[in-house]
Amino acid sequence: MRRYSCWLAGLCSAGVFAAGGEDKQVSLTIYNRDLALVEHVRPVNFTAGRQRIEFAGVSARIIPETVSFAASNLELLEQNFDYDLLTPNKLMEKAIGGKVTVIRTNVATGKETSEVAEVLSTAGGTIMRIGNRIEVLRDDSLPARVVFDKVPENLRARPTLSVLVNTDQAAAQDIRLTYLTRGISWDADYVAVFDEARGQLSMQGWITLTNNSGTTFSNARAQLVAGDINVTDSEEMWRQSRQATAQRTAGRESGGQPQLADYYLYPLAQPTTIANNQSKQVSLFDAPEVRASKGYEVSYSGFHSSDAPDSAQVRIRFSNSKAGGLGRALPAGVVRVYARDLRGQPQFVGEDLLGHTSAGSDIALRIGDAFDVTVTPTVLQETRVNKRTTDYQVSYLVRNARSEAVTVTLRQDDLWRVNEVRAESIKGRRTDSDSFAWDVPVPANGETALVITVRQGW
Amino acid sequence: MRRLRAIAGLAVLCAATHAQEFEVVSPQPDAVSVTIYRDLFALVTETRTVDLPEGSTTLVFEGVADTLLPQSAVISGAGRGVDESNYDFQRLSPASLLDKSIGKQVLLTRTDKRTGNVRQVPATVVAANKNGVVFRTSEGHEALGCSGIPEMLTFESVPDDLHSKPRLSIRLAAGSAGKRQVRISYIAHGFTWSADYLAHLGAHPGGPADRDTMDLAGWITLQNLTHANFRDAEVQLVAGRLNLLDAEEDRGTSLFGSTSAYSLDEALAEGRAERLEELREELEDEIENGPDVDFYFGCYPLGPQRPDGIDVITAEDIGRFPDDNLAESLQRTSGMELDEVVVTGYRASIALRENLADYQLYRLPVRTDLNARQTKQVAFLQKPGVKIDRFYGVRIASDEDYESYEAYGNTGDDIVPLSVKVAWRNVAADGLGEPLPEGLVRFFDTRTGGLFAGDARIEDSAVGIPVEVTIGRATDLTLDLRGSDDELQPGRFSWLTRNMYMPIHMRIDNAKARPVSVEIRQGKLYDELVGLRVIDANLPPSRKSGDYVWRFTVPANGSQSLSYKVGGKADPDDF
Repeated sequence: MRRYSCWLAGLCSAGVFAAGGEDKQVSLTIYNRDLALVEHVRPVNFTAGRQRIEFAGVSARIIPETVSFAASNLELLEQNFDYDLLTPNKLMEKAIGGKVTVIRTNVATGKETSEVAEVLSTAGGTIMRIGNRIEVLRDDSLPARVVFDKVPENLRARPTLSVLVNTDQAAAQDIRLTYLTRGISWDADYVAVFDEARGQLSMQGWITLTNNSGTTFSNARAQLVAGDINVTDSEEMWRQSRQATAQRTAGRESGGQPQLADYYLYPLAQPTTIANNQSKQVSLFDAPEVRASKGYEVSYSGFHSSDAPDSAQVRIRFSNSKAGGLGRALPAGVVRVYARDLRGQPQFVGEDLLGHTSAGSDIALRIGDAFDVTVTPTVLQETRVNKRTTDYQVSYLVRNARSEAVTVTLRQDDLWRVNEVRAESIKGRRTDSDSFAWDVPVPANGETALVITVRQGW
Repeated sequence: MRRLRAIAGLAVLCAATHAQEFEVVSPQPDAVSVTIYRDLFALVTETRTVDLPEGSTTLVFEGVADTLLPQSAVISGAGRGVDESNYDFQRLSPASLLDKSIGKQVLLTRTDKRTGNVRQVPATVVAANKNGVVFRTSEGHEALGCSGIPEMLTFESVPDDLHSKPRLSIRLAAGSAGKRQVRISYIAHGFTWSADYLAHLGAHPGGPADRDTMDLAGWITLQNLTHANFRDAEVQLVAGRLNLLDAEEDRGTSLFGSTSAYSLDEALAEGRAERLEELREELEDEIENGPDVDFYFGCYPLGPQRPDGIDVITAEDIGRFPDDNLAESLQRTSGMELDEVVVTGYRASIALRENLADYQLYRLPVRTDLNARQTKQVAFLQKPGVKIDRFYGVRIASDEDYESYEAYGNTGDDIVPLSVKVAWRNVAADGLGEPLPEGLVRFFDTRTGGLFAGDARIEDSAVGIPVEVTIGRATDLTLDLRGSDDELQPGRFSWLTRNMYMPIHMRIDNAKARPVSVEIRQGKLYDELVGLRVIDANLPPSRKSGDYVWRFTVPANGSQSLSYKVGGKADPDDF
């Protein structure tokens, strides 16, 4: 151990150059979840021989094994990422075996006396040898300052990246440093104001950049990558496996964005400063007139009776096709929906998650449950047909307390393998091998009962 | 506060590198509207007047609520494109000030405790993190607050990017100059409201059941748990179940998980209430200790003694606690809750209701101050003489409904308790016809001189929806399931029809000096039976939600018997 640090110290004495905090250019490629590729271009004056270059201002949450370093006529010997933070405790710990100065103040006279002490241990208390006596630092609670001559080199105020290089000739050149880092991510956020009367959504797309990397990137060129990249991280895989249910059909239109392999790229038009601990929003698009409609949906799996009514789900349906007024792929994000109150002020009415959605897809956002549109299910009759088959006669009483007529799509889901509608008071349709749907019209301040008889068996 | 309005929209020319870059700071809103949702957040809409210069401009909104969700912010009325908007989570605090001072020169002041002599030394901050501060002077490196000598760092100025008030800034494209009314809306956490009802059950001694009435009053209690104050605000409340996504997993708005994960309204209300308590504590803690507490107190090991702890609080120290009023100090010492409670409701100022999309929106009738940590109450419903149905009921069935009495297999305790029920139709013809947001209804019985008669939770209920609640358990009224003479008979299965029926005999005894209305419901007795059928009943049944139901009056100090057979089609393999 001792031998190793001597060897390190020997190397370090070769000369240290701080490659400033001055980037000629910094670019970020930001992925969806907590990952970004950073590239710094920095001018460095190299001297001939072996030297260490320190890079200040790199991300504190750098993934050190991903660092790559590009410069010409340079031999890279070693690359270090020191994240041993400088704290009072570490300072004392690293002073073990070394000398410090203890300055005592006489509380009566204010006079200072200083002595040189050797630090012996810091376990539970600082034990030091002063001359030929051993004492515990400030065991008497009287004032005593401890002054350290220097700070050990590998203790830093902030995590620091350094490289040890060798070059034949002194020269000034731009070096290129790239690495992956955590702590920077982007997400899409959408704000949609729904005008029910006009059947329109006014939709704005925003890109929200969050930076918790511990570092501010000034005047950075940024581009965003949309699409789930493969990340071997169980949490991330779980995240990707969850499905956003808002997309109803897949689109076939190209998204109008440059593509990177299988992902969409969104370059930001102008350089921007992404400050640490900041949330920044950049406009993605503004589509004031997107054709949209509202629908009510209720789905039941199985047959049961209930005293309490079930509220219908409210869905806003639109398409991100060119014809619908949008015509672009939508990166995954949260859509917040607003509607205007009687005074015309937009009020928040719910939100839904949108997955990466290709252009031309049909989307149905679930925004909430209707207060005034409800369904009360009642099983009227169960009839056994044979050992494996039963007929269910069910009444779904759909009530509408709104002052306009509505249509509620009622789905009977998750039926058994053999299933058939034997009777229905309103003509329905098969939507799947194990589900049916009925569109139930309900007058204003009225109610409609849908009575169906479904045979199911296995 | 209001007199400052005149200088709102103060334009500051930025002497930056770009010739045409301006910064306009708006110190506070002209008007503010707060729409509170039950789900622990509010939508804050501020109107601010700003004087925009021609060039591209950074517009700074100072004093926004600091529980703001930046990605929810919507800006309109600037008349120009918004290039970007920024929200800094970092606030001016001892921690952030030190962090920004790393590598910079500060002034170190040491005070002699006895003489009061002050010595000042220039120092450079070498490191500052939650484990302590290291600085360098001409003497060498030292750690702050470890020597036992009072030490203080003084800073020359506040870094430009640290602000005391939360601020949201937006960068606007260049456009024509002039005064604009800009409207900014954002979601902020730390608000909630709930509805409570008072129901006075009307006294109609001896009268028939259908003449029972209640006087129903509804109150909204709204709470601002944050430390933001809203002066002269328009306040709205939204009732309804919004689809919300989890704040952490999906960057949504909900602090208590995705709402679609709660299938029952009751579970949702519970999840919300639990989170509300945590949030209240978090916000209180933040108010008392600041957002980042554990900063720069670290030191190297100093043995058994604490470095410079306050061992004795002397009289002059007390005045130094950061309270600016008595209430705050009292609260700190005793843990008392002294939140202001303002009751604004009376018949003349009832909250007005309107439809908002598929929800209900209630508007407070007058503008009001919504202060930090304030609770306010306002009436929203006054309905005298609502026609109700008071009865005693029981449901006999085998399903999971906890209110059902499972008759089969019960041999010992066959005296079945009856529940006290109140039901009404939410229609104008019966004196109601108003949407009722979810809440607790407390019933008082005027028949017993206004005594508390029990409470029950109602879910959001629209006009036209029947409501039925259980408010207690009956006394002086018993249901004897053994009947007058019979034991429960075992079920009989017919091999020919595959029908299986079980006979039920019951007698209801009324020890009250008045007749009562009783409802007996019969559901399925075995899940395995297909279809529910009742035969051979001595009183004609009707149907209710798939059940068979009997409704009859039991005379004062009298009794009534009911007998029938209940069953359905059975699979012989099951028995």
